[in-house]
Amino acid sequence: MAEKAIRLGGESTADAIVSAVDTMYSEHTFDEKDFVLKHNDDEIAVDSNFAAQSFWKDVRVRFFRKKSAVFGMILVVFIVLLAAFGPGMNEYTYSGQELSQKNFAPRVQVLENFGIFNGDEKMSTTTGSKTVNAYVEKGKEDVYYWFGSDTYGRDIWTRTWEGARVSLIIAVAAAVIDMVIGMSYGLISGYFGGKVDMVMQRFLEVANGIPRLVIVTLLLLVLKPGMITIIFALMLTEWVGMSRIARAEMLKLKDQEFVLASRTLGAGSFFIIFKEVLPNIIGPIITQVMFSIPTAIFTEAFLSFVGLGIPVPQCSLGSLISELYNSFTTHPYQIIPPMVVMSLLMMSFNLVADGLREALDPKMKSM
Amino acid sequence: MKFDRRISRRSFLAAAGVSAAALALTACGGSSSTAASGSTASSGAAAGSAEGGVLNIMLETEVQSLDPQLATDGTSFEVIADYTDGLMQMDENGAAVEALAESYELSEDGKTYTFHLKDAKWSNGDAVTAADFVFGWQRAVDPANASEYSYMLSDIGQVVNAAEIIAGDKPVTDLGVTAVDDKTLKVELNVPVSYFLSLMYFPTFYPMNQKFFESCGDTYGTSADTVLSNGAFVLTSYEPAATAFELVKNADYYDADRIALDGLNYQVIKDSQQALMSYQNGDLDITLLNGEQVEQVKDDPEFTSVGAGYLWYISPNIDAVPDLANLNLRRAITFALNRDSITNDVLKDGSSPAYTAVPAQFATGPDGSDFSADQTKFAEFCAYDPDKAAEYYEQAKAELGKDSFSFTMIVDADDAPQKVAQVVQEQLQTTLPGFTLELKVEPKKQRVQDLQDGTFELGLTRWGPDYADPMTYLGMWVTGNSNNYGLWSDADYDAIIAECTTGDLCTDPEGRWEAMYDAESIVLEQAVIFPLYGQCNAEMISSAVTGIEHHPCALNRVYKNTTKNA
Amino acid sequence: MKKYTLKRIITSLFTLLAILLVLFILMQLMPGSPFNDEKLTPEMRASLYAKYGLDQPIYVQFFRYVTNMLRGDFGVSYNISKNTPISQLIQSRLPISIRVGGMAVTLGAVVGLVLGIIAALKRDTIFDTLATIISVIGVSVPSYVIALALSYTFGFKLKWFPMLFSAKDVFGSSVLPSISLSMFTMASIARFTRSEMIEVLDSDYMLLAESKGISGPALIFRHALRNALIPIITVLAPLIVDLMTGSLVVEKIFAIPGVGSLLVTAIQSNDYNVVISLSFIYSAMYIGIMLVVDLLYGIIDPRIRLAKGDD
Repeated sequence: MAEKAIRLGGESTADAIVSAVDTMYSEHTFDEKDFVLKHNDDEIAVDSNFAAQSFWKDVRVRFFRKKSAVFGMILVVFIVLLAAFGPGMNEYTYSGQELSQKNFAPRVQVLENFGIFNGDEKMSTTTGSKTVNAYVEKGKEDVYYWFGSDTYGRDIWTRTWEGARVSLIIAVAAAVIDMVIGMSYGLISGYFGGKVDMVMQRFLEVANGIPRLVIVTLLLLVLKPGMITIIFALMLTEWVGMSRIARAEMLKLKDQEFVLASRTLGAGSFFIIFKEVLPNIIGPIITQVMFSIPTAIFTEAFLSFVGLGIPVPQCSLGSLISELYNSFTTHPYQIIPPMVVMSLLMMSFNLVADGLREALDPKMKSM
Repeated sequence: MKFDRRISRRSFLAAAGVSAAALALTACGGSSSTAASGSTASSGAAAGSAEGGVLNIMLETEVQSLDPQLATDGTSFEVIADYTDGLMQMDENGAAVEALAESYELSEDGKTYTFHLKDAKWSNGDAVTAADFVFGWQRAVDPANASEYSYMLSDIGQVVNAAEIIAGDKPVTDLGVTAVDDKTLKVELNVPVSYFLSLMYFPTFYPMNQKFFESCGDTYGTSADTVLSNGAFVLTSYEPAATAFELVKNADYYDADRIALDGLNYQVIKDSQQALMSYQNGDLDITLLNGEQVEQVKDDPEFTSVGAGYLWYISPNIDAVPDLANLNLRRAITFALNRDSITNDVLKDGSSPAYTAVPAQFATGPDGSDFSADQTKFAEFCAYDPDKAAEYYEQAKAELGKDSFSFTMIVDADDAPQKVAQVVQEQLQTTLPGFTLELKVEPKKQRVQDLQDGTFELGLTRWGPDYADPMTYLGMWVTGNSNNYGLWSDADYDAIIAECTTGDLCTDPEGRWEAMYDAESIVLEQAVIFPLYGQCNAEMISSAVTGIEHHPCALNRVYKNTTKNA
Repeated sequence: MKKYTLKRIITSLFTLLAILLVLFILMQLMPGSPFNDEKLTPEMRASLYAKYGLDQPIYVQFFRYVTNMLRGDFGVSYNISKNTPISQLIQSRLPISIRVGGMAVTLGAVVGLVLGIIAALKRDTIFDTLATIISVIGVSVPSYVIALALSYTFGFKLKWFPMLFSAKDVFGSSVLPSISLSMFTMASIARFTRSEMIEVLDSDYMLLAESKGISGPALIFRHALRNALIPIITVLAPLIVDLMTGSLVVEKIFAIPGVGSLLVTAIQSNDYNVVISLSFIYSAMYIGIMLVVDLLYGIIDPRIRLAKGDD
């Protein structure tokens, strides 16, 4: 009877327990020794939710069923591989300048025989346009720049993949760090609520109310410019979105029965936050991380435009685009490779994120 | 009686034909040509009276201030000079000729100038009087105004009591400038200043109508209604930091017959690709290019390259960085720099390699020749020679007992300096094995602060001439000067400079000239700085326009003799 | 509700004050000084500091700034437009930024909504893919590249629109900047609308509505879109502030005299007053819009009001 009442749950649970206990032990009066702490710290961690495994399997199945998501993932892997091995695929280095071979148009072995990528370049000048081939003009017939060379005679192929590598490292690192910070902040704020939440949310409002440009510029002026500083700057401005999502999820979950149950079992706040609630919201969090990677790549590109990007001669996709932007009207081929790689990267991460979100969200099962 | 100091500098004119444009380009590329172009200018001026038209001008930056005594940047100076005249103006060759001054006398001892003014009017109808000059000059030295260019009156102009007033030790009324009557202005100097007249076209020395200024309160120069004109044009539309504004011809200008243009339209464009497209669309008559675009326009007869006056150089922190105190290391660096490659392969805008501490083409001596025409004069101290560099480098390594060096160079966040720095980095690292150069990009304000505070190792910096005399550069490296970033100190050097500025050589132009070469030689011999290049600007000037005068100092562009065929 | 509104307004004011204080402290941390020209000697720099009161302790400066600001006086610019009252700069420049930004928001929101709705309705078809591609391009190509490409094509080659901002043809010359600015908004809204719409379309009450015989546009607009709109507004609100306060990039390329480019120049020139004032206006707009959105929520959705009532 008593067991049944408890299992039924619902609004009348408490009343049912009380009445059940009353009827069972009507004669007994409780004193202190009837209650001792169970010291069951090991047991509160036991998760009897065996469905968990099949949930992730479900996710995998749903994810791989979505063609665009799979395509996005293949693309991400492909770009990551090129970023890892692309710079080593020819004899050039990302920083080596050869000023006698500057502004060479793309030229690729084999393809050049078909009249494309043969180093020809149509230049539009104020006095009309003309076709030039810098390889022939300079007598460098045995030289190949697959994506062309820039104004310092550096190989754009090597620099593009080097840039992709740097951008990926920055973006992933920033996204992961901002996940940890934003998530913890949001979860704590949401869980404790009341005064704590009030103070934490006002702090967030202040941090978010200051134009990012001001904070980021200042930071990059004070600290030594470099990859770590940029990651730090991105993290400082990007954690807010993550914390909002984490807080909202926490508000949704904190009054649910399993949290109550855990608390009843004697679990502390931090145990509940990170061991009980966190696994249940990992879906939206991962999705948000996936979305914040392209955002970080994009923000880094903006920093480069303002002149606060990665220090030269190192490069990121963003710094390449803002650097080659200056040749947009003179040698348009130069800006195309980093821009295409950046777009593909952003697109593939977005596709993967979309796929993940749908796969993780049971509400969207019906696809 | 007066110094016959006709400054006949090269000026780079809006040349109409292919040949003239080409000439200007080569001249900026370092040749010592001093001929040509003068004739183009005068023919332009002569043809001028026929046609009118409005000139559409591209600016790279906004005007920072229309207050002549507070303005400090080239853009503001150019615009202020469009509508304000001083005592003197520049002729097409950059020499000082009378503007508001009808005539002037110089006393026997060379220390008192007396200017007689023309009958000129402010645009509110008031006459321009000697009192307007007195008010303007007093504003410049008034400590309450903290005018950045106040040293033009004190250290450089040597006007009596200017330094004391700036320091707050005397009232502004003690300044050595007095209105004898409405039309006579007397200026007293501490010592004879050979280039004093050429200062008079510098906007800090422009007159200011006291009554009008005070009626504006704090708002002087914040709109077209709160400035007065006495010059060739009148400002008709303007707001602070405007990206576009207009001036029209001043019908009441005392020399109105000479002005051919109907007006000037300024447009600020910060993106050079947009600027060139606007130019090609016909929206602009003159525009600045970036080096990358030169390829696009090099066959265009409208393309020209004009001297900008700036010397770009690297300043090593000799005082605070022990390794850089080593002379052989500094010499290794200066000999490892391939300046030709920097100007030809990277900048491509016509800038010329610099091997002297005073750049070419802005200061001419008593004999009329360019102070730095001969760029090989100090070749034994400053040149590109990888073998010598390696030799000095080995010596430095032995002396310092190190095999590798690592320095950080601070660089402006602008496009050109960043490009140059990347090439310098590559050059030094390949020519000097074991040498590492890191670049730190900073906004200009901070770069300057780091230089002045001594918190740097190497700094890529520039200096533009304030007046047409080598001293505008050489004065920097005396002990204790705030622009002597490396805190280098040499008693002989200080003695020569003192002789030239306030000593006996003030009255001996030839002797002073020679002494300044001696000083320059010390700077280069000690590798106090590593000169890189003299900046040129690549410009497009419409073939319908002639007679835009370019000057390396004070007023970069003057439109008084400009004509435009509609 | 009234009490809640009042409470929110008061906390917002305190937040603003806190932001202002943080800005002041940040300015102190900023390396360099507004008076830093090669030609300035240290003594002159000191006298300029004294002239503008920058040599005083920060709390004095803060107090003075706040009292002056209450009277509408934001101080003067130190170097980017010397001694010009900042209120004057803002008066002439902010409306331009708001206008261009407003056009961009409208354009971005409308096109984004349409794209998102189409993508959601025709999920997993070619339309969906197309809409996704368009929105991906929108978020992945930097706005300066879009701006220059637009300017080259429609300004230089086709000559449909002016390439540069002009006070004489404000609308015409705002078209290209607005389009380049709107791309990001459009893409974000499209993506967000799509996912919100999908969620709503799959919900039980839509099934109910459908089973009641409601169909076609009425179903989509009255029932689906209306419910999807609330979260969309949350996303749109901060974007509005970002656009209204001007974009550095687009203002630079199209020579628009707005506040975005002014802020960047000010930061780089250490023009403290301008940085603080412009940042403050940004913050005020941000907090203001967030407040309005929050209060609107309460009105639209009583559940939120109840949830918030207890804090």
